[in-house]
Amino acid sequence: MSGERRVSEEMLGAFVDGQLDGAEWAEVAARVEADALLREEVCRLRALKAGIRHAYARTPAARARARSPRGPGWMGLVAASALFALAGWFGHAEWNRPAVLDSASAYALRGDWQGLRGDWGSLAGGKVLVHVNSAGRETLGGALDEIEDLLREARREGRAIEVEIVANGPGLDILRADDGSFAPRLASLRRDYPALSLVACRQTIERRAARGERVELAPAVTIAPSALHEVVEKLREGWIYVRV
Amino acid sequence: MNLGIEQLFGRGPALRREIEASRGLLCRMAYAWCHDATLAEDLAQSAVEKALRAAGQLREPDRLRAWLLKILANCLKDHLRERRETGDYEEIEETLVSPEATPEESRASAEIVGRVRRAVAALPQGQRQVVTLVDLEDCSYAQAGEILEIPIGTVMSRLCRARAALRESLETVAREELGSRLRSVK
Repeated sequence: MSGERRVSEEMLGAFVDGQLDGAEWAEVAARVEADALLREEVCRLRALKAGIRHAYARTPAARARARSPRGPGWMGLVAASALFALAGWFGHAEWNRPAVLDSASAYALRGDWQGLRGDWGSLAGGKVLVHVNSAGRETLGGALDEIEDLLREARREGRAIEVEIVANGPGLDILRADDGSFAPRLASLRRDYPALSLVACRQTIERRAARGERVELAPAVTIAPSALHEVVEKLREGWIYVRV
Repeated sequence: MNLGIEQLFGRGPALRREIEASRGLLCRMAYAWCHDATLAEDLAQSAVEKALRAAGQLREPDRLRAWLLKILANCLKDHLRERRETGDYEEIEETLVSPEATPEESRASAEIVGRVRRAVAALPQGQRQVVTLVDLEDCSYAQAGEILEIPIGTVMSRLCRARAALRESLETVAREELGSRLRSVK
């Protein structure tokens, strides 16, 4: 070790966990800065932390507690961190990606949807982004039920609320004009609650178009460059993220 | 309903709401500790009940989370003690991976979730509690030590051992699969 003191694993862990005081932090930071291997270690530790968060972002316990007679409903809807949202796209790539957006979503990380709902009154602005990227019709139907409940409840209590549904992948079906079950439902929801907006992912549309599939979207659906982009933007603005 | 004198003067109801609102957090942590969904709910429930009963004893409201987690840790301790005493060794329900049908995109993600949970579940109890407090709840080492009633040095060494073990069991798999996953992403 030629005279130079090695940064111990414990110190490196404390560095990543934000547990070092000014002087110690500066010392470790300088060493990390200068040493590619240490930098890689730091990345791995961050990835491990992110992986653990992701693994418990939604737990069976949280779902089991929502005993709704409608079945899936909110059980399938889970508030989660930005990281969790991104993981849906990148899958394993999260392992070598630092948790860039973590702090933006501290609230969403705290717990399940029911918890958020319970906290509703104390939230500054009721803004909820519902991200739909799966195709289970029952789940989607249940999600619409819950969204309607939420809007109705807010109206009854005179609370400001904004809900946006952003759909991509197989979830895009929920926004299709020619879908007999969802299109009429969305139309009536939109009529009753102007605070509901609908956003489709351009990349999904283009991918489907490339396969020769024509996608006709329900009226009032706007198109975002990509669902990922939309989610990240909204999280930055402090929206609560719920994934179906 | 013995909530202490604060209830009469306004802090009580707010605190009570905050305790109720922490249920999700407690449930998640309990699940990360025991990996049994039903037990986790029970533990979180009894922690909330105890906290509501003892709400008057919380002197510093900004320490609410640590206080609640400490109550939760004690609930788990009690549970384990009871189980030892009654010799009730029934197999813990394996709810490590969410069983719902998922489209391909989230299936890969559910696989990771399952692997991480299994690796965490395989850690010794003490290491598991430290690593989940620090990584899931961003507890400081001092808070983790206080919640689990162990010295900071022990927090650090357990954390180190836990992470080494987790990396050992997770990184190989992640590396192997990263390749195949990236190929399937456009």
